[in-house]
Amino acid sequence: MSRTCSLLWGLSDVEEKMGLRQSLQGADVPQARTIYLNEPLRNTFCENSISTAKYSKWSFLPRYLYLQFSKTANAFFLFITVLQQIPDVSPTGKYTTLVPLLVILVISGIKEIVEDYKRHMADKLVNSKNTIVLRQNAWQMILWKEVNVGDIVKATNGQFLPADMVLISSSEPQATCFVATSNLDGETNLKIRQALSETAAMKTEKQLSSLSGKIKCEGPNFHFNSFVGTLYLNSESPISIGPDQILLRGTQLKNTEWILGIVVYTGFETKFMQNAVKSPLKRSKVEKVTNMQILVLFLLLLVMSLVSCVGAILWRDRYRAEPWYIGKKDYDYHSFGFDLLVFIILYHNLIPISLLVTLEIVKYIQALFINWDEDMHFKGSNVCAMARTSNLNEELGQVEYLFSDKTGTLTCNIMTFKKCSVAGIMYGQSPCSISDSYEFNDPALLQNFENDHPTREYIKEFLTLLCVCHTVFPEREGNNISYQASSPDEAALVKGAKKLGFVFTARMPNSVTIEAMGEELTFEILNVLEFSSNRKRMSIIVRTPEGQLRLYCKGADSVIYERLSENSLFVEETLVHLENFAKEGLRTLCVAYTDLTEIEYEQWLVMYKKASTVVQDRIQSLEDCYDRIEQKFLLLGATAIEDRLQARVPETITSLLKANIKIWVLTGDKQETAINIAYSCKLLSGEMPRIQLNANSLEATQQMINQNCQDLGALLGKENDLALIVDGKTLKYALHVEVKKSFLNLALSCRTVLCCRLSPLQKAEIVDVVKKQVKAITLAIGDGANDVGMIQTAHVGVGISGNEGMLATNNSDYAIAQFSYLEKLLLVHGTWNYFRVTKCILYCFYKNVVLYIIELWFAIVNGFSGQIIFERWCISLYNVIFTSLPPFTLGIFERCCSQESLLRYPQLYRISQTGDIFNIKVLWIQSINAIVHSFILFWLPAKMLEHDMVSQGGYTTDYLFLGNFIYTYVVVTVCLKAGLETLSWNKFTHFAIWGSIMIWLGFFAVYSSLWPTVAVAPEMTGQVNMALMCPHFWLGFFIVPIVCLIQNVAWKSIRNTCHRTLLEDVREMESSGVQVLRRDSARRWLETQDAPEVQAHGARAGGPGAARGEARRGRAGRSSARWEGVGVRAGCSPPLTQSRRILPVREANATPDAPPVECGTPGHPDLGGDGVTGFERVGARTDAGATRALEARHRPSLPLCTPLQPQVSRSAAGGYGERRRRSKLAAVLRGDAQLGLLETNSRRTRLLRVWKFPDSSGGQPASSAGVSTHTMRSGPQGRLSPGAQLWVFACEERAGPRTHLLADP
Amino acid sequence: MAMNYNAKDEVDGGPPCPPGGTAKTRRPDNTAFKQQRLPAWQPILTAGTVLPTFFIIGLIFIPIGIGIFVTSNNIREIEGNVFMYYGLSNFYQNHRRYVKSRDDGQLNGDPSALLNPSKECEPYRRNEDKSIAPCGAIANSMFNDTLELFQVGNASDLMPVPLKKKGIAWWTDKNVKFRNPPGTDPLAERFKGTTKPVNWVKPVYMLDSDEDNNGFINEDFIVWMRTAALPTFRKLYRLIERRNDLHPTLPAGRYYLNITYNYPVHSFDGRKRMILSTISWMGGKNPFLGIAYIAIGSISFLLGVVLLVINHKYRNSSNTADITI
Repeated sequence: MSRTCSLLWGLSDVEEKMGLRQSLQGADVPQARTIYLNEPLRNTFCENSISTAKYSKWSFLPRYLYLQFSKTANAFFLFITVLQQIPDVSPTGKYTTLVPLLVILVISGIKEIVEDYKRHMADKLVNSKNTIVLRQNAWQMILWKEVNVGDIVKATNGQFLPADMVLISSSEPQATCFVATSNLDGETNLKIRQALSETAAMKTEKQLSSLSGKIKCEGPNFHFNSFVGTLYLNSESPISIGPDQILLRGTQLKNTEWILGIVVYTGFETKFMQNAVKSPLKRSKVEKVTNMQILVLFLLLLVMSLVSCVGAILWRDRYRAEPWYIGKKDYDYHSFGFDLLVFIILYHNLIPISLLVTLEIVKYIQALFINWDEDMHFKGSNVCAMARTSNLNEELGQVEYLFSDKTGTLTCNIMTFKKCSVAGIMYGQSPCSISDSYEFNDPALLQNFENDHPTREYIKEFLTLLCVCHTVFPEREGNNISYQASSPDEAALVKGAKKLGFVFTARMPNSVTIEAMGEELTFEILNVLEFSSNRKRMSIIVRTPEGQLRLYCKGADSVIYERLSENSLFVEETLVHLENFAKEGLRTLCVAYTDLTEIEYEQWLVMYKKASTVVQDRIQSLEDCYDRIEQKFLLLGATAIEDRLQARVPETITSLLKANIKIWVLTGDKQETAINIAYSCKLLSGEMPRIQLNANSLEATQQMINQNCQDLGALLGKENDLALIVDGKTLKYALHVEVKKSFLNLALSCRTVLCCRLSPLQKAEIVDVVKKQVKAITLAIGDGANDVGMIQTAHVGVGISGNEGMLATNNSDYAIAQFSYLEKLLLVHGTWNYFRVTKCILYCFYKNVVLYIIELWFAIVNGFSGQIIFERWCISLYNVIFTSLPPFTLGIFERCCSQESLLRYPQLYRISQTGDIFNIKVLWIQSINAIVHSFILFWLPAKMLEHDMVSQGGYTTDYLFLGNFIYTYVVVTVCLKAGLETLSWNKFTHFAIWGSIMIWLGFFAVYSSLWPTVAVAPEMTGQVNMALMCPHFWLGFFIVPIVCLIQNVAWKSIRNTCHRTLLEDVREMESSGVQVLRRDSARRWLETQDAPEVQAHGARAGGPGAARGEARRGRAGRSSARWEGVGVRAGCSPPLTQSRRILPVREANATPDAPPVECGTPGHPDLGGDGVTGFERVGARTDAGATRALEARHRPSLPLCTPLQPQVSRSAAGGYGERRRRSKLAAVLRGDAQLGLLETNSRRTRLLRVWKFPDSSGGQPASSAGVSTHTMRSGPQGRLSPGAQLWVFACEERAGPRTHLLADP
Repeated sequence: MAMNYNAKDEVDGGPPCPPGGTAKTRRPDNTAFKQQRLPAWQPILTAGTVLPTFFIIGLIFIPIGIGIFVTSNNIREIEGNVFMYYGLSNFYQNHRRYVKSRDDGQLNGDPSALLNPSKECEPYRRNEDKSIAPCGAIANSMFNDTLELFQVGNASDLMPVPLKKKGIAWWTDKNVKFRNPPGTDPLAERFKGTTKPVNWVKPVYMLDSDEDNNGFINEDFIVWMRTAALPTFRKLYRLIERRNDLHPTLPAGRYYLNITYNYPVHSFDGRKRMILSTISWMGGKNPFLGIAYIAIGSISFLLGVVLLVINHKYRNSSNTADITI
């Protein structure tokens, strides 16, 4: 937990409450500092120049090397390199590991340098910007980096501020200024700052130069919105400085001619830089498994070395001494340990040296693909998806638990004032009225106001409060007033009031002007009691135009209700209304006021002044102080604000649920609101039973949970169609040690979990608990500062770049603009990346095992002497050159199936989610496969060359001749194996596979003719001529890789045939350009049968899917149709999704009037069908026909007859035998289904054949059919009549509500 | 990117997306590469799709295998050039310390390496303060039996079969890799300052009388220096060239092989052999490859049949979503 907490720096108030702030600051408590005015030299604080670069010129090499060699694999290779320097140990020479290692280090190094160079340049640019500073009593232009603490800086409009400073004075009246803080917090509204009245007059050089005194303030910290300081001017009493006087580095001066400020923090001590923290390093599951696998390989390496050592001992024992022809050596010298080192060096390449750098590059490009994704570009704010880390790309494919924030994540966070309740009367449109206008449009309120309704005064007060009690800024452009607000709720309320005739027109530092029904009123603002998530309310103390002291307050119902005075009216009615609002998913606020007496206020003011100058714990003492005066409220009413769902949220959620992702909504909002949102985004459904946990004590919670667990009984621990709803208070108890386990059991047995009223810390805690308990991959998505905790805690954190600032985005691993992009991010990028990364890793392991186990086989015949069979540099370059490309193409371009299919069949996500294709077991299988391959690759050529008489000249050969044979075959086999693993070959794949083989052959040719011109590889001299001229080489060239791979091919194809997976089905459909019938698409057509315009498709490079996606996006409505309907590859007709008509097989446009057809004629003796009910007539192309079909749909006993349009091109008059082109039609049907074939000509329609498929009950994939040509030809009506056209249709009985057809296990 | 600070923000002025800000759209390029829609071929491996491949492999490999097998076995008749090999077994020419014990610089005639051979040659690097030429264990253990072949005539007289010494080494070895020390002096002069390998009877420049086959470029020596891959190996020893078209190279009859026994193999349980062979287009007799081709062809064919059965069985009862019409 401590780790988690230390990351939650964005949550000051919560931390404080939890006592975590201390622990956080414990490490480096920032010292309070004293700044002496006009004496910059007395200050020794950090410089204002910043450097975000990782390295300097001199520190690069040591730091970089340290970083690299702290990676285990690199350290291992360094160790091997060192070993190789021991004389006579290395079988492969001294530098054969060093060189590839250097190559790899150089590649990573270049990447680092390029990245760091960019940072250096950016730093330089920033550091050398100009600013004006008062030095030696005159304004001087200096560079940013020369600014010191204590300097007086002058900034002009539009400038960025060079450091954090205290505002002294400005050009504006009352020494105000405006700043844009979007760099810091992403909020786009302007903020107002105001200088202290004591300093406001200091504007001239002379005044400023004579300024003396000091500023005491807290040490540097990262809280943007807090500053605690005190100004001591000589001969004056100390003056408190607060956040209102602070101008931060990174902000931009707006609408202000100039300002003067005293610098208080510089460089890295500015709040801006303090916020640039390092994100926690997250490692993906795959990475962990990979480390494990490297360890396994290391063990294998040790075992092989030991076996070889023993072999060497046995070999020597056979002769008691070594044969005479081998140079005699001192025997002790060749001890066991020495041999072990030899063999470790010999086999060390089992561990793939290039894996790390390959993965680094691959993941970098994968991240680029995410950034480049057009589908994740949000036009609304012109934001692309951004992968802020590339470590977790494949983790996106394994997510099992999704924790989502509600506001701003599921919803737009665009607030509209929708309803209100004033004095016990509810206003606003009724829930059933559907209107395009999202705003408040109930005239009754104004009527009541104008017609002297008894509640008139309350209405006036209510609207006045909305106009006055807020922190919104008006911005005038001509006659238009727009509002700048940090809280969208406030803006919505002010806008709502404006519409009702109460217009907030101007804000002065000490007053607010409104126009109430044309009458201008000015309220003097005495105090603003700010909002905080802890207080859940904000108040404002004003002097009304009448001179009355009044406190207006608006806030959450819970905090307002506990502060109501006994005299307050409409308490009950408002409560009912609040519930109603919440049920509709609206956000509610209560508004209340209280009148203050002068004495009361004076007394409070004293307290307030005291609290506001406290240096330590100022916020807490202020809150206590506010609490004193926020009492005895009189309730006015409540407001209801709507926060609309983001586009496509329900569809996304449905699709993610299908992908077996459990979705938990964690929100700070009210339970009712949360439930409502959950309904509207289809997370909850009407028939879904709900378990609600609301308890006030530990015991009650425990009892409730146990009760529910008991009720579930055997279902506990399985996934049930249940929803669990918990509130924050109960959750606090539920996460107690003794209850935690049963609570989690319960929660994990539910399909949906809603947690409401959570604090940010609780959000993080839940994620943490689930993460530890279920060991599944978790993803947290959120948009606000309160989500930072969970975003950093979860395995994958996704930030929504929305209206609530950059905090969530800056702490996330992936940033997207809309919740719905999660679908693409997870289902497409996640799945692909998972496939890519795992395949790339497994393949890297495979190719290394294949090559280097061969050394073991060779050791058997060379007396375990450690001799290598290949030329030493060939061994080193294997990973760096000859087989370096296939891992890249696997890692970058591999596609298990198309994006459209992945989105259409979210079930495909489960393949990557379960992680079955990548674990230790898979590695073992792969390794054993590699060992078998290496066995074949060694022994087959060895046997081929057994008698050394293979060349046409009768020449005998040497060991390296065999080695080169084997090496060539290894390269070919390994490259082809990459091809076998590749599910999708594009041009790069071809290049990598064939290119690698060519590169090796080319290298072989060149390398064999270097000696003695270049002093390398004398043993290779002449090898290429001999090898390539040798018929055995070419005979082996074809047979050896085939022998290796034939088993893989056979095994793969048998498995694919016998245990068909969904993926295989989908791939097959894709590659044959098949259509898929989907019931829901059929239904949609029936509902909108006038609609379909034929879509253009197939034109784009991306094929039909792309175009269709495009076309569909254009359609109105929230249909779930974005990716529906697989296209027709070469079809001339519209895709099935929109052609709900029987079309002739041959050409779509050749049938002006399709005759009605009969289908589903079961029991007809000629037709071979038996025992199905009734007829259905379906007219084609006519509305009448469609209507009839629609009717059929409502008669459940009759099958829905859905004609399909197959992609067959054939001679109309010919028999089946004349088929020229094969084409496939996929009909995926649920329930009892039939497929039929009928024939029409001008006179009649004949049913040729019906195939029936009984519903395969339960978990099996939906009934579907595979019917061969043969079967059809042997049907009762074997030949078509002349001129006839062929039709295919499908009937399915309506079964169940589930409409997802293809394999729904 | 460990830091989330980006100094550029301060310069450009704005978070990544100022709403309503820059008019420039960040919409990513719609290229097939960036959108990952590159056209691609999706191979589908099912029994049905790979069936033909297996049969084709079977159909191609079996005939090839038979062809190879027949060719290899036809090498019986002694026609054309006959190659004479000696064979050693249980001789580990591929032992690590043996393989590396040579100096290719020296063998290439490098004068400095001649007098100062590489350390790899130890312990056959120097003898009595003189460098050994050729140095190293390989050279030291050169095969030095001599084989002479005689045809037994009608009157039991022995007619020597002419054995050709040259043309048994790789062209590149003879002409590129192995060179005598440079100079025009007699070989003995050029090898001055060196001594013969320990086990040798005579120095390297006295291996043969023929200047072109003496010293480092002696072909027997070159052949020996190519260390064999396996502990049982053959080395080409002599060529028996065909004299005219009418007679077989070695006509049927009795032959007498005279072996001068020098080379000790008993200490390591070694065996020596002498092999006479002709060479076909694909080398000497070795039926292995032919058998391998036939075997793989057959296995492939069998697998094809198995797949056919599987395909048949699963196609009709399978849950595939396909109808073939």
